[in-house]
Amino acid sequence: MVDAVSMVFPDGTKALDKVTLAIKPGEFVSLIGPSGCGKSTLLRIAAGLESHTSGDVWVDRDSLGYTFQDATLLPWRKVLANVELLMELRGFDPAERRRIALEQIELVGLSGFENHYPRRLSGGMKMRASLARSLALNPAVFLFDEPFGALDEITRERLNDELIALYTVQKFTGLFVTHSIPEAVYLSTKVVVMSKRPGRIVASFDIAFPEPRSPELRYSSGFAEMCGEISLALRNAMEG
Amino acid sequence: MAKSPRKLAVERYLAKPLAARPGLSQRLAAALLPPLLMGVLVVIAYIWTRSGLETHRQFLMPTLEGLWTRAFSKPEVLGQLFNAAVTTLSIALAGLAISIPIGMLLGVVMFRFRVMERAIFPYLVALQSIPIPAIIPLLQSALGFGFLPKVLIVALFTFFSIPTTLLLGLKSVDRSIIDLFRLQKAGWPTMLIKAGFPSAAPTLFAGLRISAGLAVIGAIVSELFFLSGPGGLGQMLINAKIDFKYEQMYAALLVSSVLSISVYLLFSWLGNRLFSEWHESGGR
Repeated sequence: MVDAVSMVFPDGTKALDKVTLAIKPGEFVSLIGPSGCGKSTLLRIAAGLESHTSGDVWVDRDSLGYTFQDATLLPWRKVLANVELLMELRGFDPAERRRIALEQIELVGLSGFENHYPRRLSGGMKMRASLARSLALNPAVFLFDEPFGALDEITRERLNDELIALYTVQKFTGLFVTHSIPEAVYLSTKVVVMSKRPGRIVASFDIAFPEPRSPELRYSSGFAEMCGEISLALRNAMEG
Repeated sequence: MAKSPRKLAVERYLAKPLAARPGLSQRLAAALLPPLLMGVLVVIAYIWTRSGLETHRQFLMPTLEGLWTRAFSKPEVLGQLFNAAVTTLSIALAGLAISIPIGMLLGVVMFRFRVMERAIFPYLVALQSIPIPAIIPLLQSALGFGFLPKVLIVALFTFFSIPTTLLLGLKSVDRSIIDLFRLQKAGWPTMLIKAGFPSAAPTLFAGLRISAGLAVIGAIVSELFFLSGPGGLGQMLINAKIDFKYEQMYAALLVSSVLSISVYLLFSWLGNRLFSEWHESGGR
């Protein structure tokens, strides 16, 4: 939950202007907005990686999952050791973290690649390993900073479906930053549109499609209409 | 009326079937032949230069035959060469054993405390710019003629690249990897050990390779100033000059370069062993 948060960078650039956003448990909210509008900054503030300059933030930091724009795997560790990393930092027992890591690797479909170094994996596989690493901590709140932005459309859609499957199983609350309107609509229970810098929230859409979502939804007219509405709001946000 | 299409100069591209993979002997030849031929050229140039020398100066460039009969075929010379190489190597390695840990410690301190970097770095550069042989007489006066001053000279020779490459490597750790650790509230020692060192290791090893090569050079330079104590290759070079045994001098020179190259290759090999699996600089 974020209330009236503003953030001014040391050089005087105003990044966020009184943003208020409350996310209820079980919701999956996407943040969408023009480049440089402060979406990622808001996410980093929520994660405690950056300090805001005014306003209040309430987040359960201990049950936080976070994925970065790139997979951020440690290149000197094999997949298995990468997935174990966060548990290692949290002081899990070695046998326990091995068991959980193998479970998560299977869940994201990377079985058989445990002993590969990240440089041997494709972009999509790296992202899956990154997801497995976060999921291993069983986060109650999951923050995503454009995780699929660097992937091709086909891989992105497949990972969207996989993310929905994971969301259905693990029941985390999600905050998802993206540039892709269809991705936002497909994944979310709510889509929030931000203005250009300094970022403000200018529109919010409840996405009421039944869950769990299936790929057919992408081809329905309701889906296209929703995307169109958000597209229009985004366009206004960029001008206004 | 539609315009008629432009005339095209169509060209036929020929298919290029995959060539058969060259056999082992062919690949060996491709790898070894160029340096071998170059070596033969160098020997020819050597012989040609020697034949141009006046006869009374030809001792400066001993013949290959002389090198064999007066140096490499004689067991006592070989024994001397071996002992000298061991002495020089031990000076070089002892010097590295001082400069590597202290250099790494300094690199970490400069990384951890920005103010220390500002304080120390200019002096590192200053230290690097001092011609080290110029302070050897001072070291002799202060520390005498034993093993320690030689080791210190090697340490001075090899020091600079260690803290600087480690600092560069530590500063280049991926920002999001640091964020990843911060999200788990990892302390900086954890980050240093689990993210900093592995990430900086390839850069550090580039520095270590430079230092390793310099260590043998430093050891020999130090010996040129010290004609006491157990003799290393440097001392053998000087003695050969005094005794007018130029074949032995050349033998010592050859062993020096072999030693220097071996230490360099040792660190290269070690680096490859450690990083080739995951680092971009590694093999396929």
